[in-house]
Amino acid sequence: MNVKKLDRAALDSWVDSLIARQKVYGVQARGERFAFAPLARAEDLRLDYDVTILPPKKYFLPQTEDLVTFKRSGEYDSVLDDEPFVLLGVHPYDMVAVNQMDAIFSSDNYDVHYMTRRKNAAIVVCDVQNASPNVFAGCMGTATVKDGFDVLLTRIGDAWLVDARTEKGAGLLEGVSAPDAGEADLAAREKVWAENVEKLQRHKLNCAPSDIPDLLEKSYGHPVWEERAALCFSCGTCTNVCPTCYCFDVQDDVNWDVETGKRSRTWDSCQLKDFAIVAGDHNFRPNAADRFRHRYYRKGKYVADKIGQIACVGCGRCVTGCVAKIANPVEIYNRLMEDK
Amino acid sequence: MSKPRVAIFDFACCEGCQLQIVNLEEELLDLISLVQPVAWREAMSESSDEYDIAIVEGSITRPEDEERVKEIRDRAGILIALGACATIGGINKLKNNFDLDEVKRYVYGKDAEMPHLNTAMTKAVDEVVKVDYKVHGCPINRSEFTYIVRCIALGKEPVIPNYPVCVECKKRENVCRFEYGEICLGPITRAGCNAPCPSAGFWCYGCRGCVDDPNVNAAKDIMEKYGKTVEDLMQKMALFGSGQKTEARE
Amino acid sequence: MSNVVSDTGADRKDIYLPEAATVVNVQPMTAMESFFAFKLDSGRELGHMPGQFVEVSVPGIGEAPISVSSSPTLKGLFQMCIRRMGNVTNHLHKMKPGDRVGIRGPFGTHFPVDTVMKGKDILFIAGGIGLVPLRSAINYVLDNRKDYGEVSILFGCKSPAERLFTRELAEWSAREDVTFDETVDVGDESWKGKTGVITSLMKKPVFDPKSTVQVGEELSKELMPALEIKEPGNTIALVCGPPVMYKFVILELKELGVPIENIYVSLERRMKCGVGKCGHCQINQYYVCQDGPVFKFADVIDVREAI
Repeated sequence: MNVKKLDRAALDSWVDSLIARQKVYGVQARGERFAFAPLARAEDLRLDYDVTILPPKKYFLPQTEDLVTFKRSGEYDSVLDDEPFVLLGVHPYDMVAVNQMDAIFSSDNYDVHYMTRRKNAAIVVCDVQNASPNVFAGCMGTATVKDGFDVLLTRIGDAWLVDARTEKGAGLLEGVSAPDAGEADLAAREKVWAENVEKLQRHKLNCAPSDIPDLLEKSYGHPVWEERAALCFSCGTCTNVCPTCYCFDVQDDVNWDVETGKRSRTWDSCQLKDFAIVAGDHNFRPNAADRFRHRYYRKGKYVADKIGQIACVGCGRCVTGCVAKIANPVEIYNRLMEDK
Repeated sequence: MSKPRVAIFDFACCEGCQLQIVNLEEELLDLISLVQPVAWREAMSESSDEYDIAIVEGSITRPEDEERVKEIRDRAGILIALGACATIGGINKLKNNFDLDEVKRYVYGKDAEMPHLNTAMTKAVDEVVKVDYKVHGCPINRSEFTYIVRCIALGKEPVIPNYPVCVECKKRENVCRFEYGEICLGPITRAGCNAPCPSAGFWCYGCRGCVDDPNVNAAKDIMEKYGKTVEDLMQKMALFGSGQKTEARE
Repeated sequence: MSNVVSDTGADRKDIYLPEAATVVNVQPMTAMESFFAFKLDSGRELGHMPGQFVEVSVPGIGEAPISVSSSPTLKGLFQMCIRRMGNVTNHLHKMKPGDRVGIRGPFGTHFPVDTVMKGKDILFIAGGIGLVPLRSAINYVLDNRKDYGEVSILFGCKSPAERLFTRELAEWSAREDVTFDETVDVGDESWKGKTGVITSLMKKPVFDPKSTVQVGEELSKELMPALEIKEPGNTIALVCGPPVMYKFVILELKELGVPIENIYVSLERRMKCGVGKCGHCQINQYYVCQDGPVFKFADVIDVREAI
């Protein structure tokens, strides 16, 4: 399917037609920040956003979700959420993160809860219009994205290029009559992509992302871990706002009949003090510095070794969210580079 | 099996946490399907001294109250401290920052010497007797309370968070209060409330008390990053944090 | 990566869904441990290998990772020695035959009983509850005794009251084709065996010439380790115990000449999901639930936080 060119009014009526057809989540204002939320009408959609407080992972791995229901007599049933939905306005760096999560949750042990939601999602990516204060996606190779999504939106002046990349994406655009984008439009889009690489570098990483695993390998005993963690509240914000973090805790709760109940999982964080406690109360990472370092190694080395990509897409949410202002990965990696 | 008998007692407090139990509405029927209330001044007229579970609301502020809560402890198999006044001493601990005689004169004026106004240093319930379960908060979180009751019915140790309110606040996708230039106590306060205050546009007041190991040593540096002082922070903490036990990190 | 989304996989099973199992037997073992036998309600065999674990669910209470302590050569049921440590295990201890639990698994790596261990001399070193996963391997090896060379079993625990599988310890001790030795850290009046930490079973006795104590023959026999490794290079050592034990045991094994690549350890972490997702059991790059709990010691020797 060819790339279509829509004006704002046509874009809005397309969005409204999607809302009429199915559940749509889109980026909206929240205070002076932005968040993905159920979208009621096109005019609430803020494609000019810089970054959302939480990444779109919450639609695939919700903050809390039921995994199974049970009877105390010993029967269990899966709980699966299979309502189709459209996720509107995902930025490229977040899409790269979703692709990484897909790799994690579909490989080795297939996570049917995550994957059921993922398969029922149609994702509309929107190229970034405004850089957030701490974004560094341009340094991480994630200012643009090539695959994983269904439709790509790019703003070119007052017009929007709408590019269906999958059958599902073509389905979303059914009934939209708009002219095809011309060569000049496509060239303008190339220009947006190139500019975004430069624009999304509020922090400059002094090495290639592919250098990070080796850099970390040599830096286990570096003083930066202790220095930074001295101010760490172990509050887990850096991981909760991270689009590539997926650790979780699992708990049971019963209904008032004390006979039936559910087992649910909720976001957990390797930064929380009790994360690595085992039976008998031995804690394998009792110090904030150990936990702090674990996060960087996990992102920059362990996951990288597993899936071949650094698990940091440069969204900058941890930089903004950290109350103690110690979580900027670029500062850490640059510091390690200096002392290499 | 007969239902465990439950008695609810109030000490120095506003009784708002008991009110949260009354406010369970239809869930109140579920609650009494699991337990049998036998003494509950706010909700029933009968009263019995025979109970398995004692729910103690309020902080301990007079010598005779110490005796009374010890008696309750002796009678009860399980003792639950209900609400911030009971779990951490709550707002009542503000008093501990002042000279007691001055406090008495200021509050009670010419009646200050009456025997029943014989106020002492405020204590949380666990500073007087052993507490089996704590339902934190001012007021308590109803769903946490009911979760704890169901856990007791199952004979299961409830899982109460030992991580900061920030966790729940972020999950609710609130804009951080620090971004508004406010001092929020979320980063050192025990979660479990689901961050209602930041979600409603206020900073966290710290009513659930501190996590086990708050990073108190970082306070000065972090306040400086926001152009604030430790005094600003202490002022925020006075309401619920007075005389609270916090272990400094090694 | 988009292919993972279009992949139909409609009938993928739920890795978090427990399978019903029934308690067949419960026997108290020590003050803290009881010995359970379970049977899957579906009638199928668990299909585990020695060293693997399962996630045991008590509905409403939660789930806990527990090592299987029976050998797969035992058919029709599987056994676990369970220590009361938390919510789930406390509730398991209240269970009686006929009660139902949920089982997920088996998960993780196993001791290489069917591969590299074959034809080798085998040395089992178990500290305390570390005997629980090792018992599966020990029984597997003893049930296939002819497939292995010399078999030695060393067991140490804190006190006589904490000895596990006492009937089997006696059986192993009585067997002609097994070298067995054990010690307790601190004995009591009824304890006639050795005292001292487990490495004292591996050390050559040291005679102090300046000592005024006459070391009689009886005493020297007592101190003389039963452990004699004939061919260290042909010996596979399986080690399982509390974190503090590994360091010292491994040093002694080195001393005895057992090559490091012949040592296998089982590590304990909080394996919450069992399927390599939740992150709780991660030690550096390893998910203990997937890459472990059984590791070649050589693979974890340089892994910080591991031991």
